[in-house]
Amino acid sequence: MLKLQIRTTLLSLIVLALLTSACTRADKRYEANTLRINIANEPPSLDWHVSTDSTSFDVVSNVMIGLTQYKNDLSCAPACAERWEISKDGKTYTFHLRHDVKWSDGKNLIARDFEYAWRRILDPATAAPYAFFLYDIENAYEYNTGTLNDFAKVGVKAVDNYTLVVKLKNPASYFINLTAICPSYPQRQDIIEKFGNRWTDAGNMVTNGPFLLKDWMHEYKIELAANPNFFEGKPKVEILKMFMIPEQATAFALYENDQLDFIDNRSFPTPDVYDNRNSPEYRNFPLLRNNYIGFNVTKKPFTDKRVRLAVSMSIDRRIFPRILRRQETPSYTWIPPGMLGYAADSGPEFNPAEAQKLLAQAGYPKGKGFPSVSVLYPSREDARLVMEAVQDQLKRNLNVHVDLVNQEWKVYLRTLRRDAPPMFRSSWGADYPDPETFANIFTSRNGNNDTAFKNPEYDRIVYQAAGTATPEVRAALYKKADHMLCKEQAAIACIYLATQNTMTKPWVHGIGINPLDLQFFKDVKIDPQ
Amino acid sequence: MFSIVFKRALSAIPVLWIVATLTFIMVRIVPGGPFDMDKALPPEIVANIKAKYHLDKPLSQQYVLYLQRLAKGDLGVSYKYANRTVNDILTSAFPVSLELGLLGLFFAIIFGLPLGTIAAIKRGTAWDAICMTGATIGISVPTFVIGALLIFVFGLWLRILPVALWESGQHMILPALTLSASPAAYLARLTRSSILETLERDWVRTARSKGLGYWSTIIKHVLRNALIPIVTVLGPLTAILITGSFVVEFIFAVPGMGRFFITAVSNRDYDLIIGTTLVFGIILIVTNMIVDIAYTLLDPRIKIEG
Repeated sequence: MLKLQIRTTLLSLIVLALLTSACTRADKRYEANTLRINIANEPPSLDWHVSTDSTSFDVVSNVMIGLTQYKNDLSCAPACAERWEISKDGKTYTFHLRHDVKWSDGKNLIARDFEYAWRRILDPATAAPYAFFLYDIENAYEYNTGTLNDFAKVGVKAVDNYTLVVKLKNPASYFINLTAICPSYPQRQDIIEKFGNRWTDAGNMVTNGPFLLKDWMHEYKIELAANPNFFEGKPKVEILKMFMIPEQATAFALYENDQLDFIDNRSFPTPDVYDNRNSPEYRNFPLLRNNYIGFNVTKKPFTDKRVRLAVSMSIDRRIFPRILRRQETPSYTWIPPGMLGYAADSGPEFNPAEAQKLLAQAGYPKGKGFPSVSVLYPSREDARLVMEAVQDQLKRNLNVHVDLVNQEWKVYLRTLRRDAPPMFRSSWGADYPDPETFANIFTSRNGNNDTAFKNPEYDRIVYQAAGTATPEVRAALYKKADHMLCKEQAAIACIYLATQNTMTKPWVHGIGINPLDLQFFKDVKIDPQ
Repeated sequence: MFSIVFKRALSAIPVLWIVATLTFIMVRIVPGGPFDMDKALPPEIVANIKAKYHLDKPLSQQYVLYLQRLAKGDLGVSYKYANRTVNDILTSAFPVSLELGLLGLFFAIIFGLPLGTIAAIKRGTAWDAICMTGATIGISVPTFVIGALLIFVFGLWLRILPVALWESGQHMILPALTLSASPAAYLARLTRSSILETLERDWVRTARSKGLGYWSTIIKHVLRNALIPIVTVLGPLTAILITGSFVVEFIFAVPGMGRFFITAVSNRDYDLIIGTTLVFGIILIVTNMIVDIAYTLLDPRIKIEG
């Protein structure tokens, strides 16, 4: 009996200790002036001439700022450049820089920092993957490919400390957007030459944006500190902790435990998105990332555009938000809603009866005689769900059976680029908020055009739109191109637009998400009230 | 002893060369390359990148270049983590895995050996059944389930231990326990069978008949002799534990090197794949040598051959 009493008392003490500990932890809800987020993975590089991924750009776009900057409505606003002029022929841009932009070591930002940066990104020795973003500049392509060695002939010139002149090969209406993205940010020659490959280490890195790189524990956490020299004023958040928690469920548990203040898709398991959709902390934003089924137009039976259109018209896109459960938006057009050139009628409607007629006209009445078709998708759960739904709809609406084949990501990419199968699933996220970033993909020479769709008329319209300054004329041209791509030629069947799903703690204010999925934290405030 | 260690170190060189060569060949056979990206790059840019990393050279030349660097202790560069060398990556990640692995090994031993011993000396009783049921669960339940359960119970429900992250000693407990579950279970089963086998020996009966106490026989004689097969598996087990676990590091956000065994392959980060393989090989060779030395301490009749 005595032993039992001792055991009971011990157990009670342990439980009490646990509860006390739980209460103590629960009281600590936020860290003053600190924002804790999860970027899921190690940024491959903070050198924006080398990195190509969204994780690196999430960090870089909070420590750097370019000639222009995106607002959350995706308007391109002045940043380091307070104003700019475009010549009448649309080929010369003259940027006038602010005089009060400072690097984090106190030095003034000057036009030469842009000239140096653009020279470095175009230098073949840098091997910058995104150098092609500057190929619109006169002789930039030639310099990057080594056919021109004299950078003085490239259309970038720092006329004086605060004037940068950029000459383009051809007018490019979207060019101003490129001055807001990471690859075009300025760099400091003295810092890069001094530290070499180590210039992006904490302590070495010199930046001009709202935050500074304070600490970088590889594979674990990046800490940014507010930049007191930032020309728009020091951010209200003093410390920005960016954890690299790869497992969604773990990150979500940390959010529930008040150890993260803000989470997005990277930290949000699908069942939890669904369970929290009515929470006041939850928000959902459409993204400019379009998912599509591509047809290899050189492989039977998709050499016949009636077959392609029949497949596209037989897919009921409303099913994708139901199976993916992140409030995705059904998509029928390649240029997404809200973008210049978007028109709802550019894409095909869901019409199984019409699809069956088209299939019969193509020689496959009620699916009879339809050849064996492989559909490729990357080995990923969401892709599998999508493709199984498509497979099911084709069977039910067209009596057509397709075989699903999945491949590991890199193998999948290699297969697509070398010899794409008759049908495949793919997606594209906008690099900048202009229809050019979408429409150009399916031009004949674009390396991302895995459909083998080569249409001179489509190319002509897209190139013409890129060089047109008048928004109304551009809109009409892109609308025409989109109609051709999605309906008239049906080279692709768009299926849904991805969304960003976030949870934000009540003490965090001012977080904005934009459709490009760029996350800027300079206006965030931590306030428990 | 030193000459044996020296000879073993010398004999390790051709082994590591074969490992490096086979890995070098295999990673290049796998379809897909390090610069196959979501967004296809223009061929001119791919050419610039390949030139930078000497991937434009014939395979034989790449191999010679790699061996030349390797001879100087340079494991190469990461294609994924630009500006970082493989040496940088492994130097920062290995100490974390080592720390976690050693704690995991400690848990595995302090849980595994007593459980196995109890099960053996209480053979056929409820204690045996309980211990072996625990061991079966430890082996058969996947690590990610054990990790998730521990997070739920200690992190979210009781809130006495951190859910994840790598900030303090407290943060190590759940990942180390998760890491130790399967090895502890394996050690328990091995200890049980080894002790049972030893208990059957004639000399145990002799010792007991000469009046040696039961526990004294078990601890001083049976356990010591039963440890030989356990020490044998402790070598590779240690190597596995201290080089990190992808699942545990993934679940608990531990910045160790276990993740690179998987991500380096999926990224086709050639030099990093070879680097992690070589480091694992070196640790395996070292731990096996330590095991051989431990044999001689447990049983002086055993002699190591160089």
